[in-house]
Amino acid sequence: MNRRTLLSRSAQGLGAMALQSLLSADTFPNFAPKAKRVIYLFQHGGPSQLDLFDYKPGLTKLSGTELPDSIRQGQRLTGMTAFQTGFPTAPSVFKFARHGQSGTYLSELLPHTAKIADEIAVVRSVHTEAINHDPAVTFCQTGFQLAGRPSIGAWISYGLGSENQDLPAYVVMVSQGKGNAQALADRSWGSGFIPTKYSGVKFRSGADPVLYLSNPEGYSPTARRRFLDDLAALNQQKLAEYQDPEIATRIAQYEMAFRMQTSVPELTDLSKEPESTFDLYGPDARTPGTYAANCILARRLAERGVRFIQLFHRGWDQHGNLPRDLRLQCEQTDQPSAALIQDLKNRGLLDETLVVWSGEFGRTVYSQGTLTATDYGRDHHPRCFSLWMAGGGIKGGITHGETDDFSYNIASDPVEVHDIHATMLHCLGVEHTKLTYRFQGRHYRLTDVHGQVVRALLS
Amino acid sequence: MILALLAISAFAQKVEFNRDVRPILSDKCFACHGPDAKAKGIPLRLDVEAEAKAERRGRFAIKPGSPDESEVLRRVRAAQPARRMPPAITGHTVTDAEVATLRQWISEGAAWQAHWAFLAPKPQAPPTTESKWPRNPIDNFVLSRLDRAKLTPSLPAKPETLLRRASFDLTGLPPTPAEIDIFFKDKSPQAYEHALDRLLASPRYGERMAARWLDAARYADTNGYQFDGERQMWRWRDWVIEAFNRNQRFDQFALEQIAGDLLPQATLNQRIATGFNRNHRGNTEDGIVPEEYAVEYVVDRVETTSTVFLGLTLGCARCHNHKYDPLTQKEFYQFFSYFNNVPENGRAMKYGNSPPYAAAPTVAQQAELAKREAAIAAERAALRRDEAKITAAQGETASARWVPTVGLDFAWKPGEPTANPQAGAFDIRDHFTIATRIKAANGAIVTKMTDRPQGRGYGVYVKDGRVHVHITSNYVNDAIRVDTERQLEPGREYAVTVTYDGRVAAAGVTVYVDGEPQAVKVSQDTLYRPFVNAGAIFKEPLRMGAGGGPANKFAGEIHEARVYSRVLPPDQVAALAGVTRPEFARGAYLETAQTAQGNTWRKLQQLIDQQERFARTFPTVMVMADGAPKQTHILLRGAYDKPGEAVTPGLPAILPPMPAGLPNNRLGLARWITSPENPLLARVTVNRFWQMYFGTGLVKTVEDFGTQGDWPSHPELLDWLALEFVRSGWDVKALQKLILSSATYRQSSKTTPELLERDPDNRLLARGPRVRLAPEMIRDAALHSSGLLHESLGGPSVKPYQPAGLWKEISMQDMDYVESTGQDLYRRGLYTFWKRTIAPPMMVNFDAANHESCTVRESRTNTPLQALNLMNDVTFLEAGRLLGERMLKEGGANPLAYGFRLVTGRRPSPVESRVLKDSLQYHLDYFSSDRAAPYLNQGLHKRDPAWKPQELAAYAAIGNLLLNLDEAVTKE
Repeated sequence: MNRRTLLSRSAQGLGAMALQSLLSADTFPNFAPKAKRVIYLFQHGGPSQLDLFDYKPGLTKLSGTELPDSIRQGQRLTGMTAFQTGFPTAPSVFKFARHGQSGTYLSELLPHTAKIADEIAVVRSVHTEAINHDPAVTFCQTGFQLAGRPSIGAWISYGLGSENQDLPAYVVMVSQGKGNAQALADRSWGSGFIPTKYSGVKFRSGADPVLYLSNPEGYSPTARRRFLDDLAALNQQKLAEYQDPEIATRIAQYEMAFRMQTSVPELTDLSKEPESTFDLYGPDARTPGTYAANCILARRLAERGVRFIQLFHRGWDQHGNLPRDLRLQCEQTDQPSAALIQDLKNRGLLDETLVVWSGEFGRTVYSQGTLTATDYGRDHHPRCFSLWMAGGGIKGGITHGETDDFSYNIASDPVEVHDIHATMLHCLGVEHTKLTYRFQGRHYRLTDVHGQVVRALLS
Repeated sequence: MILALLAISAFAQKVEFNRDVRPILSDKCFACHGPDAKAKGIPLRLDVEAEAKAERRGRFAIKPGSPDESEVLRRVRAAQPARRMPPAITGHTVTDAEVATLRQWISEGAAWQAHWAFLAPKPQAPPTTESKWPRNPIDNFVLSRLDRAKLTPSLPAKPETLLRRASFDLTGLPPTPAEIDIFFKDKSPQAYEHALDRLLASPRYGERMAARWLDAARYADTNGYQFDGERQMWRWRDWVIEAFNRNQRFDQFALEQIAGDLLPQATLNQRIATGFNRNHRGNTEDGIVPEEYAVEYVVDRVETTSTVFLGLTLGCARCHNHKYDPLTQKEFYQFFSYFNNVPENGRAMKYGNSPPYAAAPTVAQQAELAKREAAIAAERAALRRDEAKITAAQGETASARWVPTVGLDFAWKPGEPTANPQAGAFDIRDHFTIATRIKAANGAIVTKMTDRPQGRGYGVYVKDGRVHVHITSNYVNDAIRVDTERQLEPGREYAVTVTYDGRVAAAGVTVYVDGEPQAVKVSQDTLYRPFVNAGAIFKEPLRMGAGGGPANKFAGEIHEARVYSRVLPPDQVAALAGVTRPEFARGAYLETAQTAQGNTWRKLQQLIDQQERFARTFPTVMVMADGAPKQTHILLRGAYDKPGEAVTPGLPAILPPMPAGLPNNRLGLARWITSPENPLLARVTVNRFWQMYFGTGLVKTVEDFGTQGDWPSHPELLDWLALEFVRSGWDVKALQKLILSSATYRQSSKTTPELLERDPDNRLLARGPRVRLAPEMIRDAALHSSGLLHESLGGPSVKPYQPAGLWKEISMQDMDYVESTGQDLYRRGLYTFWKRTIAPPMMVNFDAANHESCTVRESRTNTPLQALNLMNDVTFLEAGRLLGERMLKEGGANPLAYGFRLVTGRRPSPVESRVLKDSLQYHLDYFSSDRAAPYLNQGLHKRDPAWKPQELAAYAAIGNLLLNLDEAVTKE
């Protein structure tokens, strides 16, 4: 039993006394929210903090020297480099500069992000427990490395519900970069042990943005309307006879399905977007299924009040050929990410929309494979990585946290993934310790038994 | 929550500790003042009576009879936030109603009870009643409870409704019109019983039962985690279906799954049964630390075993003592150690099964094998009869060298091309032999690999004077490498032979020099994936004297080389190497003799080779096995790399001890779990069956019978059923029949506003169950009523329709979903291929268990995606079309009523008939031919040309409409 079914039942005749005792628990938001919704730009594969955000000028002179043991501290490595005989320091080949009034350091690979430097809070001191993609993504998505718990979007849709009766509360879109792509899993946006209806709904490019959305060929919306009327008439008969509230719910869900058949194609149809939109988001934006097109859709979903919008962009796993492949990744993502912030701001939506840009972990300062003057690879690195946040509840133009001279260990203000979760919930007006679901006798939370709101990031 | 409401508010009576008080203390207090209190430095425990009632500096946490002197009550009501319990940081508060309950309980003397589920079930006499309503003792318990709540049972369901309910519950399929007619015609008082017997005897029964068991056992056809390659566990699924169908005793069913491999003279089926605890995920990712996942697999076994058979959330004690139940972290690792002796690697195979696994031929394959063995025996007998002739004849050629010809893939001699693109096309699971004669020097002798150092593929070398063999997918961490201890003398001639038996381990490699097996040093033994991903071709040629780059060019001479696609036995290796022994003379003679005996001998060799190859096509199944005992340690905070105190296998102290005489291993554990003294197995099992039929268990938390679990709605009934189950010899079918025969089950599921208000979840059972069908049943029922369902039992998983691209979008790029063809498109849902990371979308839409980890609680939601699924998925459009055809073909005077009955099991009411008739007319008018043609073009099943497209399309639309009815997807 969860709060939402209870609330829906309350309309269907649950006794007043019962309702009273059931609602004694918390309702959300717990306090005035800064953000009404989240856009989570998940950069899947582990973007290199060393080549994008975490400027380490001192490394240049150390190029090719062995990573000191005092830095590595015997920390575990992945099975891919654990047998490597040396760990040569690989400084970034990319130039860094300060941007905006805030003077935020960013790499030359992010010229568009540079233009929104004063809107974003860069966090350079995030760390995770996981060292491989699947557990790391699962950890970022659910607060736990092993699959089985609800994803963050499911938690939020469970806690805060939907603001739009014609669209799902949690929408996911996946795009494919040009770099080395690792597999994702549907459970990344699943609901774990809370009811399936809180799962993310994946929007796909193509004829059926949502699975089974389109009527079969030859069957018009008019015919579908008639079909639904007839179906409802029959289901009403059943409801009158059996009085099971589930029947009333089913009738209502068919109506929402019908509305989705209109609202989703209207949403995903970019043909009425003005030229200026495509100029802003870049040339890829005209191609459905690209990260850029998905960023436009994210804005359109935000406009329509969808609670949790999540993009997954694959291809950030640069074990080798990093200088070449990372550039390709950034070419596809830098402009659209920045455009989204700018676009939301222009429309007055940025203040009420929390935007998060993050991967699942960082990458090693030492080269995986051979280090040359122009080429290197980087292995997975859980001990520090960088992300940025912007919009509702977030103080723009700041850089939080520091790593050591090798971007290997955190030097100050460590931030756990749980802290990011707590902070995201906080921006939504949700006290992270109160958003719970009882399963197997335990009151589970997104933040498990951890999580501190990172106050320094708040506006 | 609802239950507490019913328990206290609905009928005021004496407070009972287990029912009313323990849930409050457990939920609000035990996390700190519970079993783990001491570890956290908290002196007060409220889960132990003596401590809770003890005097502490003149005060009492709980003082029986004196609520005002009981600190617990003061603290939950404290005005000062700093003094109030539970502390604000926990997010918990004690409600007014809960305070009242605590107060009343303390006033009434604060009587304590041990946690009910850990005590043996008590024999219960069914309450007596004047009522004629009860049909069996279940009803006496239910009625007595209803009486207390001042509720009355509902009327019996209509016969057709009841038959449909029972059909879904026992077979997962709706009844056919013919079955309904038989039921109506059977006027005997046992008509319903006959129907139950028919359903229980149906092969579909085992499939229905297996579907939920697969959820609990986290069955899947892929490994999960990131790469999520295919594995093969369907022979375990076959075993489950078969076990239910032959009504195996449940204790034996449980025993064999936990420890069938350890039974004396374990049969193949008993070993297959242990696949239960190998169904967990396996991580194949390149970068993992294998030890980390080896721990996860064992934890998964502990969690699954304890949830399924004990209803305990033992996993909560992995990192610390259990917060609610008296289970310590040490006990968790003692239990863990029963499952920790599997000779396994934390990194799983990229494709296929990971050791240990067993060849598991199907019944048909076993029969075929027996036939082949008989044929081999016959040829052997024929040779024996001619033994004298052979001995006489072979003398003449005794000095010849025996060169086996069976399975010869390639032979080479100097002067021939040194690269062959076709030969030696083996991968890591193939068997092969490479036999050479060389003049020794360093370098590659025979290879099939990318031509660079540390390349991918396999090769036989001389390296530093030693024979070196590698089988490599990734030199760094995905390879086998062995070297002989013996060094060859440069310039001397040797026969170097290598055999490999496809076992994906260094132990599968044997190196011979001059026919003698060699001791080897294994420098790498971590091979996980084939040279190429599934489906692709490994293009490297077989090279003589080269491979692995210019530096590895062979510096000696190769005098001959032979490649066989089988493992030559030692005698043939020796003979081929030129070793002469008297017993080889016979082979040397027969291999080439142009006589009847020679023919027979060669035929025999062929038959043996074919039989071995046939045996390699057998499906395999991962099984449990105990290797050398591993020392288990407590893992601090559950982390694989933080071992603490060493522990030995043992059982939680709250449960009865293991009976004397049992071995303290997994088999002993299994015998203990299935012994009648275990208070949990029977209760947990009957409760899960109850959930299958009523939608909710008597204990709603079917996964948790600990103190955080819900109090049973009918504790006496639960105990009675549990004891009855054990008394019957754990007879599952008898239990089903008992429950389904009860008046409780046979009630109508119609409800009323009053009942909805009093008991929205129907926990008191004043009405019959009305529950949406399980996901696979929704599709099965649509296929069944449209006549598409292909009913065949068991076998590999199939791939029915699925929207294109779902796998490709997010999986590794080489994986795509290839739909099955023909009848395999229409098999029952439990045979649908389950890819863990991208599960079948229809199943997911309808709340299927996740198959990532053990799931025993059934869940039902009601969403717009379900509506879209039923309206627009080709599965339900094609079924609608076939249903339309059936209406036209078989429906006689009233096709609509016939179709309605196929789906709902009843005839439509006049109002329903009118709606359907009008809808049909609308669709007849709607479907012009240019609309009908594409509308009918759904699915691969051929359209019946007997009907005009416009008419058929209209009926097809009605067919789909019927499949969308609430009633179509609901058991009522």
